[in-house]
Amino acid sequence: MANPMIPRERCDYSAIIDRKPLKLPGKARIVFWTIVNYEVWDIGKPMARQLLPAPTGVPLMPDVVHWGFHEYGMRVGCWRFHELFKKLKIKPTLAANARICEDYPRVAEEARRDGWEFMGHAYEQGPIHKEADQAGMIRRTMDIMEKFTGKRPVGWLGPGLTQTLETPDLLAAAGVKYIGDWVYDDEPTVIKTTGGPLVTLPYTIECNDIPVMIIQHHDSDYLLKLVKDQFDRLYAESSKRAKICALAIHPYISGQPHRIKHLEAIYRYVNKHKGVLHWNGAQIYDWYKGVAKV
Amino acid sequence: MPMHPRERIEYSPIEGRPPLKFPDGVRMVIWPVLALEEWDMARPMARMVISPPQGQPQQPDHPNWSWHEYGMRVGFWRLRKVLQELKVTPTVTLNAKVCETYPGVVKACMDSGWELNAHGYDQVPMHKVEDQRGVIMRAMDMIEKFAGQRPRGWFGPGLTQTFDTLDYLSEAGVEYIGDWVLDDEPVTLKTAHKPVVALPYNFEIHDIVMMALQHHTSDIMYVRARDHFEWLYAEAAERPKIMAIACHPYLSGVPHRIGHVQRTFAELLARDGVVCWDGATILDWYLAQRR
Amino acid sequence: MDYPKPPVGMLPTDRISYVPIPQRKPLKLPRGARMVVWTITNVEEWDPTQTMPRTVLTPPAGGSPMPDIPNWCWHEYGNRVGFWRLLKVYDEFKIPGVLNINGTAVEAMPELIKACVDRKWEFIGHGFTQRNMQKVENERADIRKCVEVLEKATGKRPRGWLGPGLTETWETPDILAEEGYDYVADWVLDDQPVWLKTRGKPILNLPYTQECNDVAMMLIQHHKANEFYERAMDQFEQIYRDAKDSARVMAISVHPYIMGAPHRAKYFRMIYQKIRKKPGVLFWTGSQIADWFMKTGPKPE
Repeated sequence: MANPMIPRERCDYSAIIDRKPLKLPGKARIVFWTIVNYEVWDIGKPMARQLLPAPTGVPLMPDVVHWGFHEYGMRVGCWRFHELFKKLKIKPTLAANARICEDYPRVAEEARRDGWEFMGHAYEQGPIHKEADQAGMIRRTMDIMEKFTGKRPVGWLGPGLTQTLETPDLLAAAGVKYIGDWVYDDEPTVIKTTGGPLVTLPYTIECNDIPVMIIQHHDSDYLLKLVKDQFDRLYAESSKRAKICALAIHPYISGQPHRIKHLEAIYRYVNKHKGVLHWNGAQIYDWYKGVAKV
Repeated sequence: MPMHPRERIEYSPIEGRPPLKFPDGVRMVIWPVLALEEWDMARPMARMVISPPQGQPQQPDHPNWSWHEYGMRVGFWRLRKVLQELKVTPTVTLNAKVCETYPGVVKACMDSGWELNAHGYDQVPMHKVEDQRGVIMRAMDMIEKFAGQRPRGWFGPGLTQTFDTLDYLSEAGVEYIGDWVLDDEPVTLKTAHKPVVALPYNFEIHDIVMMALQHHTSDIMYVRARDHFEWLYAEAAERPKIMAIACHPYLSGVPHRIGHVQRTFAELLARDGVVCWDGATILDWYLAQRR
Repeated sequence: MDYPKPPVGMLPTDRISYVPIPQRKPLKLPRGARMVVWTITNVEEWDPTQTMPRTVLTPPAGGSPMPDIPNWCWHEYGNRVGFWRLLKVYDEFKIPGVLNINGTAVEAMPELIKACVDRKWEFIGHGFTQRNMQKVENERADIRKCVEVLEKATGKRPRGWLGPGLTETWETPDILAEEGYDYVADWVLDDQPVWLKTRGKPILNLPYTQECNDVAMMLIQHHKANEFYERAMDQFEQIYRDAKDSARVMAISVHPYIMGAPHRAKYFRMIYQKIRKKPGVLFWTGSQIADWFMKTGPKPE
């Protein structure tokens, strides 16, 4: 594609204080958006994240240690999430590599049965820049998920939130309606693509267990503290305008025994407040479409 | 022949210097610095909060560009509200290009009466700039044109300098810098032209260092600032102390950090004899002392 | 295990034999004391025409700029301000000082040297410049220049040595012994002094620390400031317990540009506030530890 748009050509700068406040239905004031991420880490490639660098520091192939680290999430960690969200009656967004439908059908079936919203998250886990045929991969991802769930996903999240300059155009062409890669605002926005408008929803790299635990190495209870601080502020601001507080989790991180109790405590804390809606991305998108007249 | 740092300023232990004197009623000065940047997506991002899967930085680096952009769309306005409510008057150091890309943000700072300070043209280390002298002059001219007033102070992007940066800065009319964090007090640096004053900025109460590099918890802004303050406040009985606090909208302006930033300023500024000065005010006080 | 022998010097395993601490003859300190604490202040001279040994703020988008003015200044703060802040704590609690100082720093900061000489601090060699000893062109000349510079500044030859970043070549202990040093502290492998073989006279190693060390805690592990106090107290309590039947030595290591920052100094002070008057604890210099051990400890093999 010749000369794809740069971000600023897709969406003008806008100061949040200049925008008309959005309003949620009824007495609701804030949306809590849970996004669970399921991935496939191909043993033939470098592993997506490193928790324990090899002795002498040189990354190894195959990296069995980190393949195992991720695999724990599929064998053990994810069931803790399913149990928690069943209890809370929350149907989160599931940002999943489409390949889980092939490699972990048991896990994918549980998510489908529980009514989780499937969100396209590439075919497998690696930066989108390395994809030789990006359009083909996007289409394949969306098709696999549509076939598996009976519904074409409306949302997309790049692996590691990666995009090239042309990604939004390719996504719109494949039927994606909203993306989470543009973590540049507290509110949904609309960006231009060659295939029409595309909505961005406020996903998060702050309240996200990869930066917090794997990159910044915080203590196990820190995600709880951080999300409390984040939620408190957004809740206070939601007296004037609708706010969305996202939380992004991975089963091989927050599904660990030493962390899961702090995740449970997040929901207990949030649910003490009035006016909270537990919505997934599709629900936020539908609401936004209506109020912003996209 | 550019000067070695020790040729610009001699070693001097703080003990034994004749004390400077604050005006009556002032025991300690808080110097808030708010930095506004432009991150060009065609280049690697200045800082990263998330590396891509498998670790190799990719271009464009969209996630980290978005992370910074949040600061200009949302974070700045949140920080500004907090600072206005507390009557905090920061030095705003900005990449000159911000006047073109985010004019509303710069105008809002001017409307608040905040001091504008030059932070290079865009967020690139001075070592990577081909024509340093030209870029410095351009940055100073751009901000002067936008604001109607030439900035008096300068912070290099990432505080970077080459051996001769100071000479170009002096030539461009810069009167003070924040790049030399080597003292608790202002000091005078020799240049090939007029001397330039180095004001006591620091890398301790600094949200990039604490949060983006050292990965501290959000409350550490408050914990560390309070510890830093208490020790300096005690020392301020003997000689004037100046404490800089550095905030970037994409870090301090996010919801989970703003409360700790707010608490920090609110508590420190409520103490006896503590005032909030911007860089120009500190400079003028120091120059009067020096005379 | 037969490791290949190095071209010069000795293998570490040839300098020191393995002897588990419970099997050693108990060490006894004077006056019924059970442990010694020694506090080492590290003062360095960072050459702005070289890469900085440590950095606190990397440049935007990474890389290693030359010169690195911001990080040079960050370190220089320690010499101008931080050292004097820590000195007040030393004075308040009468801590006998050990100054671990680069040779080039001695000339650059005469006021700092005078303050330590006036207080009768022990000066120990820390490389002529702040550089990896394996990258120094002539190690013997470097070690010898430190003797000259320190003797000139203090009137006394240094007895001890702690390499920059604790680095050594295969033959550093041999050269140190030949150049008249009595002890080294690079071998952080014990809670008691131990003898090291050299090709000549044996040399003593004193227990220094990578644990109660502000470079490790603050710059590498990125702990918050009170960790320095918490960890020192945890370390102290355990060593005190261990020292019930045989003396132990505990080191605390500070760098003025780190613990001398206003937000950290309090935690350095709190340690001494807690332990300075504890019964059974001696606060000594390296020299005093070395003399005691040479007199009452086991003789070298």
